[in-house]
Amino acid sequence: MSAEQAIFYFFSAVLVGAGAAVVTVRNPVHAALFLVLAFFTSAALWLLLEAEFLAVTLVLVYVGAVMVLFLFVVMMLDINLVPLREGFIRYLPVGVVVAVLMFVEMALVVGSSYFGLERFGSPPRHPADYSNTKELGGVLYTEYVYPFEIAAAVLVVAIIAAIALTLRRRPDSKRQDPARQVRVRREGRVRLVSLPAARRPAQGEGSSES
Amino acid sequence: MEAVASMAFQVPDMTPALPEIFVLTMACIILVVDVFLPERRRALTYLLSLATLAGAGILTLALHEAEPRVTFGGSFVADTMADVLKVFIYLVVATVFVYSRRYLAERGLFRGEFFTLGLFAVLGMMVMVSARSLLTLYLGLELLSLSLYAMVALQRDSARAAEAAMKYFVLGALASGILLYGMSVLYGVAGTLDLAELGAQLSGPAARDPALVYATVFVLVGLGFKLGAVPFHMWVPDIYHGSATAVTVFIGTAPKMAGFALLIRLLAEGMQGLHVHWGQLLIVLAVLSMAVGNVVAIAQRNLKRMLAYSAIAHAGYLLLGIVTGSAEGYAASMFYVIVYAIMSLGAFGMILLLSRQGFEADHLEDFKGLNERSPWLAFIMAVLMFSMAGIPPFLGFWAKFTVLQAVVRAELVWLAVVGVVFAIVGAYYYLRVVKLMYFDRPQGSAPLPAGGEARFLVSVNGLAVLLLGIYPTGLMALCAGSFAAGG
Amino acid sequence: MKSVYVGIVLAPLLGTIVTGLLGRWLSREAVHRICIGGVALSLILSLVAFFHVVGGGETFNEPIYRWMFSDGISFEIGFLVDRLTALMIVVVNFVSLMVHIYTIGYMHDDPGYKRFFSYISLFTFSMLMLVMSNNFLQLFFGWEAVGLVSYLLIGFWYQRESAIYANMKAFLVNRVGDFGFLLGIAAILMYFNSLDYADVFRAAPLLQDVTVEVIPGLEWSVITLICILLFIGAMGKSAQVPLHVWLPDSMEGPTPISALIHAATMVTAGVFMVARMSPLYELSETALSVVLVIGALTAFFMGLVGIVQHDIKRVVAYSTLSQLGYMMVGLGASAYAAGIFHLMTHAFFKALMFLAAGSVIIALHHEQDMRKMGGLKRYMPVTYWTMLIGCLALIGFPGLSGFFSKDAIIEAVGESEIPGAGLAYLLVLLGVFVTALYTFRMFFLTFHGEERMDPHAREHLHESPAVVTVPLVLLAVPAVLVGWLTVEPLLFGGWFGEAIRVAAEHDVLARMGEGFHGALSMVLHGLLAPPFWLAMAGVATAWYAYLKRPELPELAKERAGVLYRVLVNKYGFDDFNQAVFGDGSVRLGRGLWQVGDVTVIDGVMVNGTARGVGRLAVVMRLLQSGYLYHYAFAMIIGLLVLLSWAVAA
Repeated sequence: MSAEQAIFYFFSAVLVGAGAAVVTVRNPVHAALFLVLAFFTSAALWLLLEAEFLAVTLVLVYVGAVMVLFLFVVMMLDINLVPLREGFIRYLPVGVVVAVLMFVEMALVVGSSYFGLERFGSPPRHPADYSNTKELGGVLYTEYVYPFEIAAAVLVVAIIAAIALTLRRRPDSKRQDPARQVRVRREGRVRLVSLPAARRPAQGEGSSES
Repeated sequence: MEAVASMAFQVPDMTPALPEIFVLTMACIILVVDVFLPERRRALTYLLSLATLAGAGILTLALHEAEPRVTFGGSFVADTMADVLKVFIYLVVATVFVYSRRYLAERGLFRGEFFTLGLFAVLGMMVMVSARSLLTLYLGLELLSLSLYAMVALQRDSARAAEAAMKYFVLGALASGILLYGMSVLYGVAGTLDLAELGAQLSGPAARDPALVYATVFVLVGLGFKLGAVPFHMWVPDIYHGSATAVTVFIGTAPKMAGFALLIRLLAEGMQGLHVHWGQLLIVLAVLSMAVGNVVAIAQRNLKRMLAYSAIAHAGYLLLGIVTGSAEGYAASMFYVIVYAIMSLGAFGMILLLSRQGFEADHLEDFKGLNERSPWLAFIMAVLMFSMAGIPPFLGFWAKFTVLQAVVRAELVWLAVVGVVFAIVGAYYYLRVVKLMYFDRPQGSAPLPAGGEARFLVSVNGLAVLLLGIYPTGLMALCAGSFAAGG
Repeated sequence: MKSVYVGIVLAPLLGTIVTGLLGRWLSREAVHRICIGGVALSLILSLVAFFHVVGGGETFNEPIYRWMFSDGISFEIGFLVDRLTALMIVVVNFVSLMVHIYTIGYMHDDPGYKRFFSYISLFTFSMLMLVMSNNFLQLFFGWEAVGLVSYLLIGFWYQRESAIYANMKAFLVNRVGDFGFLLGIAAILMYFNSLDYADVFRAAPLLQDVTVEVIPGLEWSVITLICILLFIGAMGKSAQVPLHVWLPDSMEGPTPISALIHAATMVTAGVFMVARMSPLYELSETALSVVLVIGALTAFFMGLVGIVQHDIKRVVAYSTLSQLGYMMVGLGASAYAAGIFHLMTHAFFKALMFLAAGSVIIALHHEQDMRKMGGLKRYMPVTYWTMLIGCLALIGFPGLSGFFSKDAIIEAVGESEIPGAGLAYLLVLLGVFVTALYTFRMFFLTFHGEERMDPHAREHLHESPAVVTVPLVLLAVPAVLVGWLTVEPLLFGGWFGEAIRVAAEHDVLARMGEGFHGALSMVLHGLLAPPFWLAMAGVATAWYAYLKRPELPELAKERAGVLYRVLVNKYGFDDFNQAVFGDGSVRLGRGLWQVGDVTVIDGVMVNGTARGVGRLAVVMRLLQSGYLYHYAFAMIIGLLVLLSWAVAA
């Protein structure tokens, strides 16, 4: 076993373990932290594939931004997880059976006999001055400009959706709007009400006023 | 490695993609314009959206050529099928906008986001329809799905809509993941994203790779979900029912055509060599869909839910044409999906038309005695229901007929028989609507909404179903022409 | 000429459309003017066509409009105008015009006046389409269209129970015939792969030896099969035994209809059709024999029934049945020209008789029972004399039109050597006596003898108005003359040319032609021939029994009770049909309804399935729990199952 293989198996094992932990640990904060671990190890696997840019981006974007946000939310919401997990044990046997079956089938088809190195070979080594970032940049804006633009559109939709779903004026919030306060006019605030003079209980007048 | 960056890169020819570029640009413009519009000028957004669709239609028609045009490094293609489907997508979406206007306004949903999201969804469909690589196919699908999730969630003050949006999003993400996984295995085996190359690779000896069977299953599960085929249909009734009707009609019509394009691009162009595998699996999905859709629809009391099950059943019939793996079958399915979009557009349009503030008109009881209140609308609805049931001479009959004919030609007579049997089961619940309209007493005496342009358009829609049913050859020829050159 | 032919058909159609759809906004006068105008125009155009064809014009055989083209077979509307057609359209249009005019008087007070005109114009259109057709599809269209109008008109007074019964009966009986007819057309389509007459006739000799196994072990010649199937259609339409039962009942319709449809034109469609198909029938001696025997049976036995009828129109109706039998006999003997000749003469004198009977009926305020008539000669001279002409023509009095045609048929049968000709000859000969007997029985009972009508009616008795009598006179003219004038060319001059094809060994008319020396000598010869003396014997019997000794028939009724009852019951056809087909099918239907439909189909299959499906739907609906993780799990299970299946396979 070469050093490279040893490193691969180490990180793979950690990745699988972390992934399993994400869905099994009881504490959501712990789960989020395991997810961070999973991201880190997969970044390491990408490094082994000479995809430095992707590895670094994964750490920066997911670990640095997404997961931090995620942790904040989880901590702030303080979700009571006990009821959410009630069904876990009940459905566990079924889930395990399905998972095992799935695993066996996947192993049958995508096992090393069909997807091993002897079938696909290892990717060619690149020279030391090879820049993964530069290469990506080179094709991203030329050959893949169309998918790139669509991805941009996807992001725009995500932004629109996020704003449309969250931005709203709550009727019960007591927020001040200085602009509206300044624009206030007399007509908006003062209403003249004509009050009828005190009436005597006489028949004729009563009917004429109503 | 300076050579890579400076490698003779040619700016791709953008003209074939002009409609897409136009829609994207207009969607962004409308987005910005809408922000600055006061509430009472909102109609401008609506009109601009319609204008965008009209413009895209003109561009598509003007740019149409018989020969397929490929650009963007082979990831985009504008062929006859794409152009025909795009034009129908514009038409259907524009009609949806018109139908929904009053409904949205009465529920405080007449907002710019509905239309911009709608246009982005249209863009997603266009990308799917014109996709020539796994990547663009997937991105288009995600653009469409994301827009739809957001549209469902747009009705924020409805708990049911929020629930529907959540279900749609989670299940949709799951399905997308499964689909993507299947695609990645395909890529792994063939080493290319390009659908044409993929098709060439998979028709060779590589097609016997067992990994491909595996990939096929995953791809089919993803596709099955997007089309709402049994057993991946569970989302359909809840989402149809939970969404605002204006959103339901959007989801229930144009995306079906995009879904059809997804099937064709992926299965017929990319994986034709694997027909032996996916053909068998699709038969299972088709039979289950026809059975479950038609049978469960009978037990529904809510018209939107009933139409959701009807959509599941129709997805089954749509798959029948694909199952054959022949150009004739594909053309039949294309005809079917267009016809289905037109019919369900009319049926949902009728619900929109009859709804008013605080009243959804989506229960079967709400259609009782419609004939006494408005004979014309009852007639249109009856036409639509007869057509959906597949009764001649309406358009829906020809759709079923061509599909079943293709199935018989493919020597799958038993499958055609199954299709007919379930069509008969299905006729029951469509005709029940007709019975309610004509033979039952009306429940309320509230006046029907005036309607205006929506009423006119619903009438046109219903009459189109009737007239195209009498002269179906033009539309059929259009669909057959889409597959004549490609084979 | 094409526009002329199209005009012939379209003029009455236009009339019926305008008056049928816009009648509500038109006055009565406008309605009858439009319809009569249409038919008159059609008559003029058909005379133009007639003289064109007779004057040596080309036979017209062209499609007008192609309806569709499928599998190499063209379905089209097309006209074949040869001499046979030309003769038919003139007869149809002439009688139709007379009836149109007569209707103004007859239907004067009827609330359905406009509807009636629209119907008879529609009938004229349909009949013209039938006779002018050059293909089987259009023939069938015309065939069914005249049947439809006949149905509508028999039940014209639809409030009458009996009229509804009669039109339903006519419709159902014709269905039986049409079933055969349609099968015949289908067989033609199957074997000839064409619906065009010309194609079929050209190819027919090639199929002469082809046989088909109708029932296992029973080989039939295809041509025979086709001819007999077509003839079954003709039996329905032309009321031949045993499908004749509808015609007497059809007298429930207004009298102009009885004259036009049930005497002169529609019922002769079967005769026309067989003559038109002569190239096919000539190839099958079996079929000819069937036609001959059926015709002869109808001719004799239906005439017998006429003797015991009391309703004046029914007598004429039975006489029509009998005469149709004669025409069929002529066709069966391969004397097609004689059959068509008799068709023509019969159209004139029988329409005359019906209209005259109608005139009597109007005068007596819609009384049709002859036991309440008598002595009308005094009150209605025009009707009397025209009716007398009609009756003499009918019994074949030498010199009148009926004589030539009927004598020709009788003689042709005598000459014929087709199996069954001997029996047929005997029957038609005896038929002459019977014809004369019932005809003059009717005549004497109506116009002579004591006046038996009720006194109230007698006060108002007077001759009918001009719109009624003018058509009578106009019809009387051809009833007298047309035979004399046309016997030579029609029968012996090969007038029909290519329209009628007769095989040399069947050509009885040619053999008769050798002994023919002009109409006058035929008349003189006729005075010595047995038919004349038989007819005279019939007249004499009628005179003796109904004028001289009126108590004699009652006596005969008692003496020959069995025979009388058989005749009054019309040989039991009606009772048999009612009991076996009517009640039988009702009983069968009820049985199927209760056991098959209500219990098995509705109970078990339909409702059972519906209930089952409904229950299934409710159960399956429960699967739709609404829980997200259920849905996701279902998807995963689905994936798993598909995957297992695919991997295993």
